[in-house]
Amino acid sequence: MSTKTKDAINPESQIQNPKSKIQNRLSSHPSHKVDYTRPIEFEFNGKKYTAFEGDTVASALWAAGVRVLGRSFKYHRPRGPFALTSGDTNAMVRVGDEPNVRPSMKLVEPGMAVESQNVWPSLNADIMSLTSYGSRFMPVGFYYKAFFRPKALWPTYEKVIRNAAGLGYVTTDTPDTYYDKKYEFADVLVIGGGPAGMSAALSAAKTGARVMLLDENPYLGGHLAYERQSVDTKNGGAKAYELADQLAQQVLAHPNIQVELNTSVFDIGYHLWVGAVKEGWTNTDPDSIQNPKSKIQNPEARLLKIRAKSLVAANGAFEQPLVFENSDLPGVILGSAAQRLMHLYGATPGKRAVVLSANRDGLQVALDLLVAGVQVSVVIELRDQPDSDLVTVLESAGVPVKTDSIVTKAQGNKGVRGVFVSQAAKELPLSPGGIKAIRGTKEFVICDLLVTSVGWTPATGLLYQAKGRMDYDEQRAEFLPAHLPPKVHAAGRVAGAHSVKAELLEGEMAGLNAAADVGFGKGASKKLQNEVAKLKAAEPVRTSALTYIPGGKKSFVSFDEDVSIKDVRDSVAEGYKSMELLKRYSTLSMGPSQGKYENANTMALCAEANNQTIPETGTTTGRPPFTSVPLGALAGRHMEPVKYTPMHDWHIARGATMMNAGLWKRPEYYGDPAAEVVGTRNSLGIIDVGTLGKLRLYGKDVPKLLEMLYTNKWSKLAEGGVRYGVMCNEEGIVSDDGVTANLGGDEWYMTATTGGVTGLYQDIEWNLQSGWDFDVHAVNMTDDYAAMNLTGPNAREVLQPLTDIDLNNEAFPYMAARQGTVAGVPAILMRIGFTGELGYEMHVPAGYGLYLWETLMDAGETFNITPFGVEAQRIMRLEKGHFIVGQDTDALTNPFMAHLDWAVKLDKSDFLGKPSLVRIQKRGVEQKLVGYEMLDSNIVPEEANQIVVPNPDRPIGLETIGRVTSSRYSPTLEKSLGLCWLPVDQSEPGTEFTVRIRGELHQGKVVPIPFYDPDGKRLKS
Amino acid sequence: MSLKLLKQGLNGSKSLTPMWREQPIKDRYDVVIIGGGVHGLATAYYLAKNHGITDVAILEKRYIGRGGSGRNTTIVRSNYLTPEGILFYDESLKLYEDLSQDFDFNIMFSQRGHLTLAHTDASLRTMRWRAEVNQLQGVDSRVISPDEIKELVPFMDLSDHPRFPVMGALYHPPGGVVRHDAVVWGYAHGADKRGVHIHQLTEVTGIDVEQNKVVAVQTNRGRIKTGTVVNATAGWCTLIADMAGVKLPVETRPLQAAVSEPLKPFLDTVIVSGTLHFYLSQSDRGEIVTGASVDPYTSYSMDATLGFAEGLAGHILELFPSLGKVRLMRQWAGLCDMTPDYSPIMGFTPVEGFLVDVGWGTYGFKTGPVSGKRMAELIATNRTPDLIAPFKYDRFFEGRLVGEKGAASVGR
Repeated sequence: MSTKTKDAINPESQIQNPKSKIQNRLSSHPSHKVDYTRPIEFEFNGKKYTAFEGDTVASALWAAGVRVLGRSFKYHRPRGPFALTSGDTNAMVRVGDEPNVRPSMKLVEPGMAVESQNVWPSLNADIMSLTSYGSRFMPVGFYYKAFFRPKALWPTYEKVIRNAAGLGYVTTDTPDTYYDKKYEFADVLVIGGGPAGMSAALSAAKTGARVMLLDENPYLGGHLAYERQSVDTKNGGAKAYELADQLAQQVLAHPNIQVELNTSVFDIGYHLWVGAVKEGWTNTDPDSIQNPKSKIQNPEARLLKIRAKSLVAANGAFEQPLVFENSDLPGVILGSAAQRLMHLYGATPGKRAVVLSANRDGLQVALDLLVAGVQVSVVIELRDQPDSDLVTVLESAGVPVKTDSIVTKAQGNKGVRGVFVSQAAKELPLSPGGIKAIRGTKEFVICDLLVTSVGWTPATGLLYQAKGRMDYDEQRAEFLPAHLPPKVHAAGRVAGAHSVKAELLEGEMAGLNAAADVGFGKGASKKLQNEVAKLKAAEPVRTSALTYIPGGKKSFVSFDEDVSIKDVRDSVAEGYKSMELLKRYSTLSMGPSQGKYENANTMALCAEANNQTIPETGTTTGRPPFTSVPLGALAGRHMEPVKYTPMHDWHIARGATMMNAGLWKRPEYYGDPAAEVVGTRNSLGIIDVGTLGKLRLYGKDVPKLLEMLYTNKWSKLAEGGVRYGVMCNEEGIVSDDGVTANLGGDEWYMTATTGGVTGLYQDIEWNLQSGWDFDVHAVNMTDDYAAMNLTGPNAREVLQPLTDIDLNNEAFPYMAARQGTVAGVPAILMRIGFTGELGYEMHVPAGYGLYLWETLMDAGETFNITPFGVEAQRIMRLEKGHFIVGQDTDALTNPFMAHLDWAVKLDKSDFLGKPSLVRIQKRGVEQKLVGYEMLDSNIVPEEANQIVVPNPDRPIGLETIGRVTSSRYSPTLEKSLGLCWLPVDQSEPGTEFTVRIRGELHQGKVVPIPFYDPDGKRLKS
Repeated sequence: MSLKLLKQGLNGSKSLTPMWREQPIKDRYDVVIIGGGVHGLATAYYLAKNHGITDVAILEKRYIGRGGSGRNTTIVRSNYLTPEGILFYDESLKLYEDLSQDFDFNIMFSQRGHLTLAHTDASLRTMRWRAEVNQLQGVDSRVISPDEIKELVPFMDLSDHPRFPVMGALYHPPGGVVRHDAVVWGYAHGADKRGVHIHQLTEVTGIDVEQNKVVAVQTNRGRIKTGTVVNATAGWCTLIADMAGVKLPVETRPLQAAVSEPLKPFLDTVIVSGTLHFYLSQSDRGEIVTGASVDPYTSYSMDATLGFAEGLAGHILELFPSLGKVRLMRQWAGLCDMTPDYSPIMGFTPVEGFLVDVGWGTYGFKTGPVSGKRMAELIATNRTPDLIAPFKYDRFFEGRLVGEKGAASVGR
């Protein structure tokens, strides 16, 4: 025995301060992440526990002797941590107001309240766990086979099922806390801070590239951090955890490397657009709450959105659980989990252990346990020729290493009390279930810990997202990267390298190549590449092809979902043969870990059940997020945009009731809308119309563009003219309307509806860029101009003194546009009238909006100027019979139905919707939009009330033939009037109809429109 | 306990039989249906069950239910906008109500109610429009106030704090959710039992048309003679139709969805917000199942994107601010074949024997049963049933579009 190995099994040699012995804790050691001098009090299920700074919830409770943290999803079986990683969702807990917290990742904080989940009434006495006894009658998919007879009882059954399922709970009083997002950029993004990742980061950084290194843990080192054996590097041997520290120091000190800890990458999109979430903070983080310089008050979780130029995935592998009877029992843990407990947290994993090994890692764990003072009863080794150096050490310490036996079952109630071990016959090479316990050789071995180390599953989920292809390596029993897209590299365990030397060199190679991809350095030398290939080829196989031990009844492949081997086989027998169907039926891999610890075993079992090879069976689709992400982090700050016109504060000061209009806020009314109507009609009113869509169009082909967009003619509109037009889509459906003015000199000004302008502008750009070869430049000025409409019989008198434009009716007639100044402000004026009165719509640069508005208010004072809102405008436009696109029209309205025949010029060579409109005109229309008034003027229908005729065949004896789209009481005409759709043969003025209002029937009749000033005398005077 | 479970519990796995069998592929069938989703399988099922036509093959490129049938957010409702639409969707809803018993397989149809939120005057008007038309058609549907919403959904923020406060909602009590995969499997089982052949991993590579008449389909497993082909695909429906020389006015867009980690029940009803572009419900497993509008680009990609997840989360938290710590667990995408009027294309095409049941946009799952039933009727009688006449292919050439655009959910 060498001195080194002697040290390895002599606990005393590693104890630094034997006097500081704490119950269930090992003596402190440099590899520990916990600080025994800083105890922290916290609660679990109302009971107080002590942890140490650096402990996770899982490690602290484990050290306190708590094995069961929660109950499983389906059978409510007792569960505890088994992997101590982010993928370990076996027993998630509630922490404070956060449900579904991974106890192995959550660092304990003072006063933290931790609760177990999915337990009723308590963790120890869970009623639902009785379902476990009936599990033979609750096979895979049992809910598909029951509970639907009699039909009426399903809602009751469903309620029970719903209450039994789910894990954590949510409450309405959880506050909406602070989340933020951060954009990051990296020449080389390295995922994973283990040996390969740190090596990659360093080699890339040395080329001058800007490197970002992310790791989900609060420390760097990856598996080195929790290992104490000597490892081989190109610079000789070193203790694993010491090597981790050395590399970490180099990484942290390197000016080109930005390190983000507690940060999980969950999404890799096209062009290496990477999503990561940072949860948990250390006081060295620049954004930490502990950092007094930080402005951030409560960074719950932060989304990092990273644009990486190239990427190295060095995110390791998941240690693979072996499936056997009761392998979900608390106390059955992975080898790496035992090492994490001992070497990161100083927690004693157990008193007496059985180790099940299929690789060097397993034997090393057995040694580590001995060093920690754990009695190792036996090592069951699946290989025929285990590493003789380690076997010798173990045997000399009195630990038998059996290569002819197998653990068949873990025994215990709420934790392992022992295991059954039988002699076994193996079929070589091992297949997924290729081992058979020999009858009559069963013996019971007392232990409180069963540690399994049978192999590793590369964590290829992110590489799948990056569009990599993995192939199954039959000999190594691992899916390994076979083809990676450009600028994506993999190194370390995710790429199948297991020895530290290979990991370091492969990391170096990947870092150099990733840097070279983006112009830094020349990439890895041929020599290095060859050396990596040689090292990897020479590595012993780490992963056993054995995935389960036959014979178990409750052998769970999925801990998340309580899916057993039998369930997999039953599913396949029932026809759910492909991996995807199997997944959907059995719910395998659909739980919180998304199958991280079950996918590989599932594939093997599915292949076996189908008599296929694993490559033939294939994988399921790897879907984002790779690790689950809080909705809050994804959402970030709530940034719902609001648009305000320049006069917004004025409206508020005047007590306006505001309403949403698309993204804008507009005054709905200031006081009584009817009074606003009367004031405007009798004298003068003003309305803020700044939310209207506004486009400036430049170029000699603007008329051609307008001819294409609108259904009417534009080429003859003279300078200074304004024209109304309607737009249709290709189906001939009215899509928008508005006016456009010819400002002269190839400049035009277009207005569109508030809601329609964004789409219209997109359509114009789309057409200009992809088909219409017009000399037109379009600019969306919607937010850059303020607009207001001064309207009423006294508008001219008030406005003339303020402007250099001649407002005389001949000089500036109805449907004309002029440019000039108003109150010294450059303005576009259009004489149009939605309200039916003389009116000037003024568009000015937004910065002058409030000034002009206030000037007009002052000037109008002598005429009792009335500011009015949307409601008064709606009434006035309705009195004029104008329709509103989207309110009075719908997804089927063509112009012929809305009395717009005059505006459709089918003799134009082309325009949007023409082919459809030609057909529609030929066929004729079935419905028309008409004006109506109610016979009883006190009855005002609700908009969308239906116009009905009796039909005894219909459910309530009525059939719809039309509907009311606009309805108001007109203060001007003192009538209840509006617009409605009716069949063409019932659309003649004078026709009476029945409208259903709140379930009651009332009479209305068709009347001609406009209702008010039908000849437009007021408008044109 | 059901007899089936008792038997399985006592006899073990020996009593299990496949839900559908792997049959040898024949070189001719009376009817060949392309696409093993809920539409294709339902068509086969009703052909066999209602019309005794059993010499039918389903050709599925991958595995059944791999497309939209297994990717949708499982919502079923009939509170549509037009009388035609309502009749059609309501027949589907009624069929769904009895499917578990028909299949002897629980599809877990939960009529837990469906709320479409109104955040603006305009949407409140549309909700009222839908409610009014729904009531005339005998569909349980009404506009409710924020106070009533609060009772149904205690987790929703009904204050004026959200960017677009909730002004009311269209409440549709019979709406709800169904276990989507179960519908696929149930139809497959029922069709198989009646003699239909379901061929998975069978990809159609061509359609042979002679003198404007379908004579055969080409597949990766050989040529199959047939006089009747039904294109019941989604995502790739135009590519299949091209094989027969039929052009479809369809563009394909991805539609994404996501689920959260499982939670104890806190949300009974289905919530839809058109203004905030999301819908969500809570599954029996406890996950929040949620989605939003179709992606703003045409693509055959089924990749989920980070941008989508961010937007979706933002909108959800706008109305459910206490869910910030709930975790998004899985994201995916499906493909939607959008027609100009957001309504499907069903029935005959200019090529004799080439039928379509395509263009299902974001609402195909809701209509699987009625589409299958009526397509089967069309095949058996060689005439178009009145219920699906509005959706005929010719309408695009006659300017007779269907007006469901406004009610086709948030997916526009």
